[in-house]
Amino acid sequence: MASHSESIIREPLITGKDITYGQITNDVLRPVENMPGKAWWIGFSVASLGASLWVFAISWTFWFGLGEWGLNKTVGWAWDITGFVWWVGIGHAGTLISAVLLLFRQNWRNSINRSAEAMTIFAVICAATYIAAHMGRPWMAVYSLPLPNQYGSLWVNWNSPLIWDVFAISTYFSVSLVFWYTGLLPDIATIRDRAQGLRRRIYSVLSFGWTGSVKTWQRFETVSLILAGVSTPLVLSVHTIVSMDFATSLEPGWHTTIFPPYFVAGAIFSGFAMVQTLLLIARKVLGLENYITMFHIESMNKIIMLTGSIVGVAYLTELFIAFYSQNEYEQYAFANRIAGPYWWAYWSMMTCNVITPQLFWFKKIRTNIPLSWVLSIVVNIGMWFERFVIIVTSLHRDFIPSSWAMFYPTWVDVSVFIGSIGVFFTMFLLFIRVLPSVAMAEVKLLLKSSSEQAKKKLMDEGHVEPAEAEFYIASLEKFDSVNQSEYLKA
Amino acid sequence: MDSNKKYWKGLEELNRTPEFVEKNKNEFAEPIPIEEVLSGSGLSSKTPRRDFLKALGFGVGAVTLAACQKVPVHKSIPYLIKPEEVTPGVANYYTSSYEGQAILVKTREGRPIKVEGNPNDLFSKGGLSAQAQASVLDLYDVNRLQGPRIKGVEAGWEETDAYIKKELAAVAASGKGIRLVTSTVYSPSTLAVIAEFTAKYPTTKHINYDTVSYTGIIQANQNSFGKAVLPHYNFDKADVIVSFGADFLGTWISGEEFTRQYVSNRNSKSLANKKMSRHIQFETGMSMTGTNADARITTKPSEIGVALINLYNAIAGTTLPGSKATGSKKVDTAIMLAAKELVAAKGKALVVSGSNDVATQVLVNAINSLLGSYGTTIDLDNPSKQYAGNDAAFVEFVNEVKRGDVGAVLFLNANPAYDYYKADEFKAALKNVRLSVSFADHADETALLATVNAPNHHYLESWGDANAVEGYYTVIQPAINPVYNTRQAEHSLLAWMENPIKDYYTYVRKTWDSGLLAKGGLSGQKGWEALLQAGMVVATPAAAGAYSFSLDLAGVTQKILTQSKAVAADGDKFELQLYVSQAIGDGKRGNNPWLQELPDPVSKVTWDNFAAMSISDMKKLKLEEGDVIKIDANGYSVELPVLAQPGQTQGTLSVAVGYGRTNAGPVGNNVGKNAFPFFSLSNGTFQTAAVATFKSAGYKSPLAQTQTHHSYEGRSVIREATFVEYKKNPAAGSGNEHGRKDYNAESLWDNHDRPVYDWVMAIDLNACTGCGACVVACSAENNIPVVGKDEVSRRREMHWIRIDRYYSYNDHGNSEEAVTKEKEIDKLDNFDNVSVVHQPMLCQHCDHAPCETVCPVLATVHSSEGLNHMAYNRCVGTRYCANNCPFKVRRFNWFNYWNDARFDNYLQGEHTQLVLNPDVVTRFRGVMEKCSMCIQRIQAGKLKAKIEKRPLKDGEIKMACQQTCSANAIVFGNRNDPNSEVSKALASERTYYVLEELNVQPGIGYQTKVRNIIETEAQA
Repeated sequence: MASHSESIIREPLITGKDITYGQITNDVLRPVENMPGKAWWIGFSVASLGASLWVFAISWTFWFGLGEWGLNKTVGWAWDITGFVWWVGIGHAGTLISAVLLLFRQNWRNSINRSAEAMTIFAVICAATYIAAHMGRPWMAVYSLPLPNQYGSLWVNWNSPLIWDVFAISTYFSVSLVFWYTGLLPDIATIRDRAQGLRRRIYSVLSFGWTGSVKTWQRFETVSLILAGVSTPLVLSVHTIVSMDFATSLEPGWHTTIFPPYFVAGAIFSGFAMVQTLLLIARKVLGLENYITMFHIESMNKIIMLTGSIVGVAYLTELFIAFYSQNEYEQYAFANRIAGPYWWAYWSMMTCNVITPQLFWFKKIRTNIPLSWVLSIVVNIGMWFERFVIIVTSLHRDFIPSSWAMFYPTWVDVSVFIGSIGVFFTMFLLFIRVLPSVAMAEVKLLLKSSSEQAKKKLMDEGHVEPAEAEFYIASLEKFDSVNQSEYLKA
Repeated sequence: MDSNKKYWKGLEELNRTPEFVEKNKNEFAEPIPIEEVLSGSGLSSKTPRRDFLKALGFGVGAVTLAACQKVPVHKSIPYLIKPEEVTPGVANYYTSSYEGQAILVKTREGRPIKVEGNPNDLFSKGGLSAQAQASVLDLYDVNRLQGPRIKGVEAGWEETDAYIKKELAAVAASGKGIRLVTSTVYSPSTLAVIAEFTAKYPTTKHINYDTVSYTGIIQANQNSFGKAVLPHYNFDKADVIVSFGADFLGTWISGEEFTRQYVSNRNSKSLANKKMSRHIQFETGMSMTGTNADARITTKPSEIGVALINLYNAIAGTTLPGSKATGSKKVDTAIMLAAKELVAAKGKALVVSGSNDVATQVLVNAINSLLGSYGTTIDLDNPSKQYAGNDAAFVEFVNEVKRGDVGAVLFLNANPAYDYYKADEFKAALKNVRLSVSFADHADETALLATVNAPNHHYLESWGDANAVEGYYTVIQPAINPVYNTRQAEHSLLAWMENPIKDYYTYVRKTWDSGLLAKGGLSGQKGWEALLQAGMVVATPAAAGAYSFSLDLAGVTQKILTQSKAVAADGDKFELQLYVSQAIGDGKRGNNPWLQELPDPVSKVTWDNFAAMSISDMKKLKLEEGDVIKIDANGYSVELPVLAQPGQTQGTLSVAVGYGRTNAGPVGNNVGKNAFPFFSLSNGTFQTAAVATFKSAGYKSPLAQTQTHHSYEGRSVIREATFVEYKKNPAAGSGNEHGRKDYNAESLWDNHDRPVYDWVMAIDLNACTGCGACVVACSAENNIPVVGKDEVSRRREMHWIRIDRYYSYNDHGNSEEAVTKEKEIDKLDNFDNVSVVHQPMLCQHCDHAPCETVCPVLATVHSSEGLNHMAYNRCVGTRYCANNCPFKVRRFNWFNYWNDARFDNYLQGEHTQLVLNPDVVTRFRGVMEKCSMCIQRIQAGKLKAKIEKRPLKDGEIKMACQQTCSANAIVFGNRNDPNSEVSKALASERTYYVLEELNVQPGIGYQTKVRNIIETEAQA
């Protein structure tokens, strides 16, 4: 593939002049092979403070009991499951990028899949901590596994969506981890080959004895494809099953057949937003502008806009169905979301998820890096509110009015959530120090075909129709990593 | 055969070498260096470093290991010789009596764990109030006085006796009075002891002092009929009941008894006979009785007297001098209607008034006399003895003390330092008394001032008797050895008068042998044993005679009008009404956490009292619920949070007494504010209304309510009909007017197998008065933790059964459709016409239980007897079941209430374990719990039947909630048996299931609420 030239009208996936395989390795491994800079230390300090807060708040909860959270007899889940679904949702983009886009031969995924997958794994870890933490007796969590036991036929309840969750999340986590690590093998081998001493020994073990032979590469490609095939259904299944925690219940506002597609779209929406949040910073700080280009940013913004619109349609469908059902409990649940005591949560969700992503219709906005970053944060906030609205505003006023109650978070609720973000960033920041944040091997695949310099060469050699060249040059205008002056001359 | 084989240990022995022979002489073949060790270098030799470290390591390790295990100290002594009557694991029941009501005390291995009604009890036939249910907890209260004290110093009983005898002798010699202040004593034996005490110390006077007094009624009967008695009312014989502020289903005289009587004219059985009484309530604040009324007319305290005069006029057809309209058109119209109803029901009518004013009660007597109530609904010949207090006598006593005429005073079950309206004056005066003795079992406000504390037994440790109603004698027998070094008050009195009978048991026996047993046709030892088994003796009641009223009412009318004028507020002032709280009563049980956490039946507030105010007034004054106001009346002021009370008369405030104890104990101290000082004395009786001013105190004090949304939003959760509609179609309002819909027809689920039993319940909304006794009974039976005010305000109370109370409003001109939706209620401006419904809500034991499908670990599963089980040990606490429960009856253990010092209301007291029901496990933090349908009782019942080789009988197993319900609103049984009570109840056309359209197949059927409203009242 690499030897073929790509159509000139496709935008380049790697920009910059004189990029060589060695240059790519040097650029990507710069943070891995050198001492961290000031920015990293600041980020890491803040993140580990957050992680410490998490440790403190979780320990506090375990010591005193779940009553330290703001839950009550009516609202049995609030920030805990909101946080859980939020993190699982964020974890979705990784698999989508690495598996689905691989199967669809979307080569632009090569630059971002590594970080996205890492993000997935860390997000799923954060989600998993919520599963354990929200339990009244986490030390008995083992009961939720179908292990042989001395109680005769005492098994788990296969009817319960929470059991499906246990399997969905653990499968997702293990497959993602294997996929991610398999992809890492050639890159770890590269580090190993450049490293000395202890580092070399460590990376040597981690590289599983990668030889780089043709046979190895061939097997690598095959395994990647198989894993992509295995993961693709997971993209749909995980959040479908998470949505079933709600959809299979009786609760008005939860008991909805639209939930699976709506949750999957929402998950991809929030996942891409989080990838955007991370990579816009990483590309700047790590100097990866040539590999994570404006094309990537714009593509992700388009996906955010699309999935945001799907989510918006889902919200409106829910409202219509509530009205159309003529079910008084269902109707009340939605009327209460819109105008009840938590109206501000509903409208925050609507604004952040449905209205603001529509700004990405404007090319100026979707190619504007600061704005893209701000909007990605807005989407993350909106998606948190979506889960809060679904969980808390449904529960707090359901069937029997005597039990209606309000939920007010305590400092522990807030600390666990903020802390989990700290845990996430701590892991992510450690990741970019020890492993390549861009899949070098996969990016190198694109160098000869899809890079700016390859296309420039084609143009310089006069293999390109002038009209197409003009179109191509015009498309480069948005790239912040392209030296525009070179094309002005031409 | 002897063996001559010789065994040798080595060649040396075989060969008997000289070395061997030499060595073999000594015990040890080689010399042991003992001498060397003990003398020479042995002791002074240095321990090698390694050996030292080894020894140190082993030593520290061993000590650490040994210290790891705290050796438990077991003080219990197992039954080496099993007492004949005690089988571990099997409960024994003893008859006893609580406040004159026959009860059964359930004991396990020698300790009382629950109080249950005696099914033959005259009052409520097995029902018990919340207070009675909670009384067992007081027995184990670690804050009880643990022995006698003289001037605050612990002393022995002998020392105390000597001191008191000396002091009493001195007082007697000085000629000063000895006063025995008690709450009403209706125990024949106690009265006899007091009589003997008085004989020994002739200056003794016994004063009955009731915190909540009925002097008005007693004196009115003295005036009207020459009988100073509290009548025995028969609400069951009344077809029309008109009450003027009497909370007769709750706190008025004998609530449990009246509940049973009242409901008998309104329950399923009565309705099936197309019969239902009509109840009209004129009252200021919303009382529990008011919530049950068919018509409730908001009336200011100042209007009640005038309204009564008008009622008299309307019935008698005369006009008493001074009569005038009340000033409220609604009250005037309602009075005319009530008069018509009463006259039509002559002989089956009853008018009662909660007033303690003699003149008012005289007028009530006159009205009842006109209605022919005496001999039918009112019985003066078998009077109640529950209250005999005389307010004026107590006030006179305080004056005597002030004057210094009293040398000794003994307080038995009386706490005037807290509940007397001029407590400060009393406290100051008490200093003039040489000897003051308190028998209180707590160091309460009065006991703290007394020179001697001679703590009384708890009633479950006591012998005694009671005669609460003429001809009804009950016995009190101890169910446990005294927990502390206390002594029964009567015993103390006997000791102090040096009575030849030394112990009170013998004294009680004597009382019964010399007359009481004979009343029941019993005698001798056999008779006594029969009494202990039955718990009571019922003498043939005297025939209730008819009494007619023949006095001139002009003076009475004048007094009523003056009294009304005195409490009429003008301008910005409000009329303050004081009432007795259903849960806490007069405050004597303030240290009982079960009662403090029992939600008030109307306001659903726990752990506090408050100022109830009408919503219209609050809107006008821009007050919000929880805003604290400073109320000023009768020269006293308190700061209390405001409660928005629908149905509260505009321009009035209602405040509960019984709160604000300062020396109740750690649970009850400083809960709420004391409202007793708002009382006043007028015409010789305590009055409970006053003119008050108030202003905002500028801060908030949120109330801990178990329910914060008060309307049912038009949902079919509550279904009701009017009596007229019911008569046309018994299914009216139940949603099944045109036949029952089978929601299960399209079910995807398989039905559970229920081969033998299918335990279900039927709850009659028309019988439930909302009193909440079931809540406390359930707590006692099922070891339900008390969580305290903070946790309740976080909506985390643990009660397995709750009473949902909903208000609906009847707007003017649109009385057909009650307003129940929040959005519409917000637009109303009249919150006076309010109807109330109480709905006991507990686990519905659904056959298609939503909780069961979602539990990941199968901790909640269905039984083959139709029950929804909860396996605490399996629960991991995801709370999914609670989220998915449409009835929201599941309760989560947010904290380890049994072991977390922050929740020490009683749970962690030294003796807490003793009150626990050993058949029910306490739950650890992090697990879900809920109503188990008293599965321990079902199991015990089944086992008993099995041992006796017979089938289980219907009604043999009773739920704790059902058992204590004086209204019999709850029926439990086996649905597989078509002849069971519950099957019959569920077959009623009135039956509906809450949220049945969800097809969760609830196991509890509710019977519609039926209101006997006056059709013409709509125009009122």
